[in-house]
Amino acid sequence: MKHIILLFGLFLVATIAFSADKGKIEIPLRFDRYYNYQEVIEALNVLHKAFPELTKLQLVGKSEEGREIYALIINNPKTGGELSKPGVYLDGNIHGNEIQAGEVCLYYANMLLTKYGENEQITKAVDKNVHFIIPVVNVDGRYHFFVDANTPSSGRSIRVPKDDDGDGLIDEDGPEDLDGDGSITQMRIKDTLGIYKSDPIDKRIMVRIKPGEKGEYSLLGSEGIDNDNDGQLNEDAEGYLDANRNWGYSWMPNYVQSGAGNFPLSGVGIKAISDFVYAHPNIIVGFAFHNSGGMWLRVPSEKSIVVDPADIAAYDVIGKEALKITPGYVYQPSYDLYATYGDFDSHLFFINGVFSFTGELFQREQETYRTNINKPTQVSEEGEFTRGSPPEVSREQLKFNDNVAQGELYKDWKKFKHPTYGDIEIGGWVKMSSRLPHPFMLPELVHRNASVVLLAAGNTPDIAMDVFDKKEIGKNLYQVRVRLQNKKGLPTMSAYAVKSKLYPQDILKVTGGKVVAGGVLTDYRLNKVSYKEKKPEIQFLSVPGYGIAEFQFLIEGKGEVTFIYESQKAQGRTVKINL
Amino acid sequence: MYKNQSLFLWLCLLMSSFGAVHAKNGSAFGKYHNNTEVQQILKDMQQSHPDLIRLHTIATSPGGESIVVLEIGKNSATSPAIFVGANFEGNIPLATEGALSFAKMVIDSSKYTLGLKWFIMPLPNPDASKGYFSDKKYERSVNDFSINNDMDEAVNEDGFEDLNCDGLITQMRVKDLTGTYVISKIDPRIMVQADAKKGERGIYKIYSEGIDNDGDGEYNEDGEGGINVGIGFPHLFPKNKKEAGLWPGQTPEVYGIMKFIYDHPNITMAYTLGSSNFCLNPPKSGRKSSINSESIQIPNRYANMLGADPSKTYKMDDIIEMVKTRFPNNKEVTSSYVSNLLGLGQAVNPLEDDLKFYSKLSEDYKKYLKNKHFSIERLDPPQDKDGSFELWAYYHLGIPSFSMNLFTVPKEKGKEEKSKEESKAEKGDVLNEKEKALLAYSDKEFGGKGFVQWGKYNHPTLGEVEIGGFVPYLESTPKPERIDSLLTIQLPWLLELSKNLPDISLADHKITDLGSGICRLELFIENKGTFPYPIAIGELNKQPAPIVIVLNGEVELLQGLKRTPLGTIGGNQIKKLTWLLKTEKKPTISVTLESIVFGSKVKQINIGGKL
Repeated sequence: MKHIILLFGLFLVATIAFSADKGKIEIPLRFDRYYNYQEVIEALNVLHKAFPELTKLQLVGKSEEGREIYALIINNPKTGGELSKPGVYLDGNIHGNEIQAGEVCLYYANMLLTKYGENEQITKAVDKNVHFIIPVVNVDGRYHFFVDANTPSSGRSIRVPKDDDGDGLIDEDGPEDLDGDGSITQMRIKDTLGIYKSDPIDKRIMVRIKPGEKGEYSLLGSEGIDNDNDGQLNEDAEGYLDANRNWGYSWMPNYVQSGAGNFPLSGVGIKAISDFVYAHPNIIVGFAFHNSGGMWLRVPSEKSIVVDPADIAAYDVIGKEALKITPGYVYQPSYDLYATYGDFDSHLFFINGVFSFTGELFQREQETYRTNINKPTQVSEEGEFTRGSPPEVSREQLKFNDNVAQGELYKDWKKFKHPTYGDIEIGGWVKMSSRLPHPFMLPELVHRNASVVLLAAGNTPDIAMDVFDKKEIGKNLYQVRVRLQNKKGLPTMSAYAVKSKLYPQDILKVTGGKVVAGGVLTDYRLNKVSYKEKKPEIQFLSVPGYGIAEFQFLIEGKGEVTFIYESQKAQGRTVKINL
Repeated sequence: MYKNQSLFLWLCLLMSSFGAVHAKNGSAFGKYHNNTEVQQILKDMQQSHPDLIRLHTIATSPGGESIVVLEIGKNSATSPAIFVGANFEGNIPLATEGALSFAKMVIDSSKYTLGLKWFIMPLPNPDASKGYFSDKKYERSVNDFSINNDMDEAVNEDGFEDLNCDGLITQMRVKDLTGTYVISKIDPRIMVQADAKKGERGIYKIYSEGIDNDGDGEYNEDGEGGINVGIGFPHLFPKNKKEAGLWPGQTPEVYGIMKFIYDHPNITMAYTLGSSNFCLNPPKSGRKSSINSESIQIPNRYANMLGADPSKTYKMDDIIEMVKTRFPNNKEVTSSYVSNLLGLGQAVNPLEDDLKFYSKLSEDYKKYLKNKHFSIERLDPPQDKDGSFELWAYYHLGIPSFSMNLFTVPKEKGKEEKSKEESKAEKGDVLNEKEKALLAYSDKEFGGKGFVQWGKYNHPTLGEVEIGGFVPYLESTPKPERIDSLLTIQLPWLLELSKNLPDISLADHKITDLGSGICRLELFIENKGTFPYPIAIGELNKQPAPIVIVLNGEVELLQGLKRTPLGTIGGNQIKKLTWLLKTEKKPTISVTLESIVFGSKVKQINIGGKL
């Protein structure tokens, strides 16, 4: 136990070094850096203060450790209220370690606000849509990822204690930053019976020996000690509740979906975000940013769930363009990666009727060290004997680290006296590597991904309503034809929402005059109408992407008649005519 | 159209002021306790036993009513607890009375609070329970959660109306060219589907009592509420049913209950008073599943790895052995690990090992009832519902879950056979068992008043109709004078069941001196209870929290850990655990059975052999 106290001392030093001042946070925000939790909050405040008429900073809720989760709402009240226009939702960092997701959200907000009135597309997006931006979902996770020592992959969980190793103690054996450098890297020990040796070209790389060859090292796993003396290292770390498996749609218990939590929305911050989304039923498109791998993922997250072809077509409107904005990405249903239950995207689509995407940010292949980046690195057959990447790839990544990232991504092996193992060496990829781009690469990443969100905003439904035909067919009796045309690629409702009766359909309502009959005009040239049996003055509908919906009414009366189109997710329209 | 509704209400008031007999008919079914009264009873209980009882308000319903849990045994040290929930669907007032009465039984006998805590929740669905106490009584199981049932432009705009002013919502039959019903020839009160094959043609259409308030051609399709708390839990959540909500726990009652239970990890058993009866019949089996522990198919990609045949089926225990051989260093190869590894999905049928205790206790319960001269010649209790609390308690909490329905209508045996012959011989229609039983019950118990005789009524849109049918709650809610005997006979069984809880202690130990300061320590852990700990489904869920054996003392462990999880221990079984120790001094060490469920028990053991 003494070790822990000693380590703690070291770790304080590391923390102070890490949070060195990176400059004042001001408009426009900078994106050649990462913002820690407190700085994200500050950045949101700075944006809000600079653009008070276009923004609202809303406290969504608090996390397990009491940190605030904020949403920045960008809306131009002159073009309508917060619930009256198609909503665009984006969040990031639901996994504590996937921090650049937060920077994408901040960048999007920064872009909309600082270029409003200057750039036509952006001005339109601010005027036409309402943008709901939650840069950091897992606020505790982001806080701890910066402050604590971590691997690039640790700290995903929200802070709900869990007895991972079933010994009755909770979170008692996590990794330790033995060398006090702020990162959890790897441990190796000299061992002639081991199955690893140094790569002959770059000694830092561990390669598996060939059968019959003499070994040099054994790998001992992540940096740490066996705190609970059970013969296993680092087997019961902080958490584990994966906030992206804790949502209500198709939730499954832990033995089916690990990380699920005890019951749907048991995470308090997650519950708060669910309430926030539910309270904004106008949200029609949503993005949740993660790292890594370079992917646009859509529903379904599990094979047995069938998605209507019309909805896949609507997804494609964005997904297929996104591929060109972010070269190298793939666009696929999320079950192609692996099946998940209780994920956020499925909840958004199947509960909230939102076309939802997961954006997996950053491809490590961009860490190149060669003259022609289009020519892939030659990989020898030796690849199968290595751990992880083939040695050629590891050599290139290390060269990139050495000469492009000035050695900031990798820590060379160094001797250390381990309380159990004795003389070992510690080294490897540091926390801010592997899944995160080096800050110099961040501006392009955030811009391209924010551009995809902007493209999606541009595709939210925009309905034009007009009365395209009116004739008197009897005494005081008029035949009136109304057309609703969607000028954009996303429908006003998903086919799933219509078929499953998720929420009421859009309404076309006639006031003034007595509507004798009314219904869908299926072919106006051949005068084919499907009249509604009861209450013809109210029609239920949805308008497909780039599509139309036409209606015919037989109206008795004189004077003004008003047609009102109302939709949960598209902006309403009103047209008046005189009979 | 909305005007009509208030007009009807007004007419009803007018009629009842003339002393209409039917207005009081509702009260012929007695006065059960509504939520306000239930809350008062709970407060009174707490005030008369302040040292024993604590009240927890765990949620507020969408209708603004409190959901309260009564904790009995608040000051006792860590001890296992039993959670009792009643009337989740809100439409079985007898179940709420059962919970109140059960709480009284527990309070009155100190026997059942020794080393045991109780959490009793009499009314988790207070909004729905208003249906019974309404002056237009109708069977209601949904809360006040705002739901647009007919997906139109308004919410809750088309509920029932008590057109004939009898205080009850029954049915309307109306002659209609497109009708599909005829009057039964066996009993003219019952409507049956016309059988076209036998040359019959439908004459009537049937509606529930009311008007088409929103003029959409549908009757009473969008009344008050809501979500049914009784089907809103995560196991087999019926996501296609609107009244379950959009996801498990969407409504605050369900969310609050789940949170409360997980905040009390010492809950090791759950009782449900409601419609199903796990005391008589184990939870339903026979659903299609890949995780049936008797015949599991191993997916291709794992079959190769484990050296198994993907076309064959294996028992869970056999697969556990295969996996252990493949991963010798993995200490945690359990059913949970295996099902997760192989992606077997969720368990949907009770596990074989658990069915053993369910079956045995069901036999015992039948004997118990027989001894009490309580006839089980009654209509079968309804089956457990997907998304119900009792299923969730078993499948997700991983603990024994027992449910009890306190009343169903007696079977009508003699007549059943006769009428079957009759119907085969001459008449085209058959009454089902339930209709026969209900009619007989209405006649015997209520002098026929359990059925509202069809009476003419002039309906604003349907014209001349007849209103009639079974009185709401007839099936589930006996006369109030029957409550006491039903409860005093059946409920004590739940007290009996509590004696089966695991009772785990250190039975014995053995020390063998191997020489040179090395000894073998063997501990014999005993479970004197009938239930294993955990039961099979609990092992799958890794719940409840483990019992850990902790050794403390000046010894070096050569084999075995300082903290050793006990793992699963069967009912009435002994489990042996072994350590190899090195010690010069032969000191006294302490052995702790550590558990957040059962509390911790410490014993000193002298390694020298003498205690």
